[in-house]
Amino acid sequence: MTIFYFTLKRSFANLANLIFLTAAPIACIFLPAGEGWPPLAYGYAYFGIVILFVAIRLAQIMMEDRVKGILKRLSVAPVRYFSYLGQHLLAYAVILILQSAVVVLGGWIAGQELHRPWALFALYVSFSFAALAMALAWISVFRSKDAAFLFYMSLIVLAALLGGIILPLEIFPDLLRRIAVILPTFWFAEGLKSIASAQPFADNVRINATLCLYALVFLVLGSTRRMQ
Amino acid sequence: MSLRTERTWLANGWRLLHFGFLTYLWIGFDDAENTFILLLLLFLLTSLRWRFELPAAFLLPDILICVLYFPYTSVSYYALALPIFEWAQRGRWPFSLLVFVALGFVPFFSGWLLWYFALALFVGFFLDRYARNLEQWKKEADEQRKARQELERVKAELLEVQRSVSKQAELTERYRIARQLHDHLGHDLTGASLALQAHAYAEDPEEAKSLLQEVKSRLERSTHSLRETVHDATPVAPIGVENLERALLHFQEIDVSLRKSGDLLSVAAYQWSLLEACLKEALTNIVRHSDATAAEVTVQVAGAIVRLLVQDDGTPRENNAQSESGSGLRSLNMRARALGGSLSTSADNGFLLVCVLPLEQEG
Repeated sequence: MTIFYFTLKRSFANLANLIFLTAAPIACIFLPAGEGWPPLAYGYAYFGIVILFVAIRLAQIMMEDRVKGILKRLSVAPVRYFSYLGQHLLAYAVILILQSAVVVLGGWIAGQELHRPWALFALYVSFSFAALAMALAWISVFRSKDAAFLFYMSLIVLAALLGGIILPLEIFPDLLRRIAVILPTFWFAEGLKSIASAQPFADNVRINATLCLYALVFLVLGSTRRMQ
Repeated sequence: MSLRTERTWLANGWRLLHFGFLTYLWIGFDDAENTFILLLLLFLLTSLRWRFELPAAFLLPDILICVLYFPYTSVSYYALALPIFEWAQRGRWPFSLLVFVALGFVPFFSGWLLWYFALALFVGFFLDRYARNLEQWKKEADEQRKARQELERVKAELLEVQRSVSKQAELTERYRIARQLHDHLGHDLTGASLALQAHAYAEDPEEAKSLLQEVKSRLERSTHSLRETVHDATPVAPIGVENLERALLHFQEIDVSLRKSGDLLSVAAYQWSLLEACLKEALTNIVRHSDATAAEVTVQVAGAIVRLLVQDDGTPRENNAQSESGSGLRSLNMRARALGGSLSTSADNGFLLVCVLPLEQEG
């Protein structure tokens, strides 16, 4: 598990990463609640955007390895590519799960109205997996780290907007509302709505399962090995 | 683009179009969230098939999922087109036809659905045939390439053997001449020399006369032996440039002049055979394709090369047909290259053939 521990260290080595991984979740806890919308406090909706952003920042570590030629050197080392990928993803998942736990626990301690904290935590975990897999698939397409990051930022904002995280979906035209179902952010927003409106447990399971399906799809697409 | 890459691109293109169509159906006519989950599941299975080499039986989960969604959405019927395509493009089109049975369970009759199934079957079948044909052509090309390489190898070996035999024959003949000179000429000359030395010390006139007679007879035998050796060593059949001269002697179609320069004896026998073949080919081409009335043949030995030039006085050819070498010139070109030389032709100013071969260096 050397790669796993080393990846954890590298994730916090960068100052920008350190700030996003520690300060951003804590800031989300203290954002106020809206009136009627969003279903939970603003911070708990925007934390989805933070997850997307953190996922691409973490996945860029793997892209750095590819750009610097470390992946080529690893290919002749006794380390299988799936082991390398798995340990990296495990490290990132641990970070995101811890963040989610901090946000939920912090909100519970701070007295935020979370309705169903466990369901919220499960939603954040599922969405983290989907975000990580999406970031992995994204970086597998690009050669340049900066280009990948910049385009992904635009994508995050668009997905958050169309998915109903930043603005309620009801204000959008019918066609955009239908198209929004394709986005993982839509399912995240639906999950928040389901938790806040105390929908049946099966509904939460359906939403979490869909997010996990997203994670699987993007993981399969992004797991192709690119040497450069 | 490799065979597998091209086939993969086409198949992936069809799969993306298929999912685009299903998405259009879902957005346009059935916007239930659960239908999207169907599409996501099918997309996951397709991604797994794209990423890993999975057996054809892995299409059964696709069909199972579509069948489970039959009561909820009509998009699931159209989704069956993908297994039809996948089986057809793997060469298992009878299984694809089985999926057509699902049309019997459709609560509504749709000509579009039948057409879409048929289209998927056709595209898959076409891809399969295309891939098989490409593989067949590739195999044939590989076999031809192997046969060509084998042929070139045999040619090179034959040329090497020819060179080796020529050298061996030369060495054997030199040994025979050396032995003959040693066995006969050498002994007689040595005997004559000793007799002359003895004659210088002879006091008896009779003895002196006898010694002189012996010297004379030995010298006569030596001369006879030398004449015989030279006569035996001189070849009866024409060799070297004499072959070219004999070939030109029998060529009556146009006037041909021969110029030679340099040490023609330094050209090896196997090189003369190639030069003779080049000359004959050039003269044949001139007679067949040219309006020339005369030609000049030049054989030059200069430095480390021997050069044969054949130039006629014909008119330049417009379409340059001669320069697109026939099989004869191509074969001679390959033989020349195998000997480290070159053969080139030109039709810009009548027909010109130039063959250059490197000479073997002594020592």
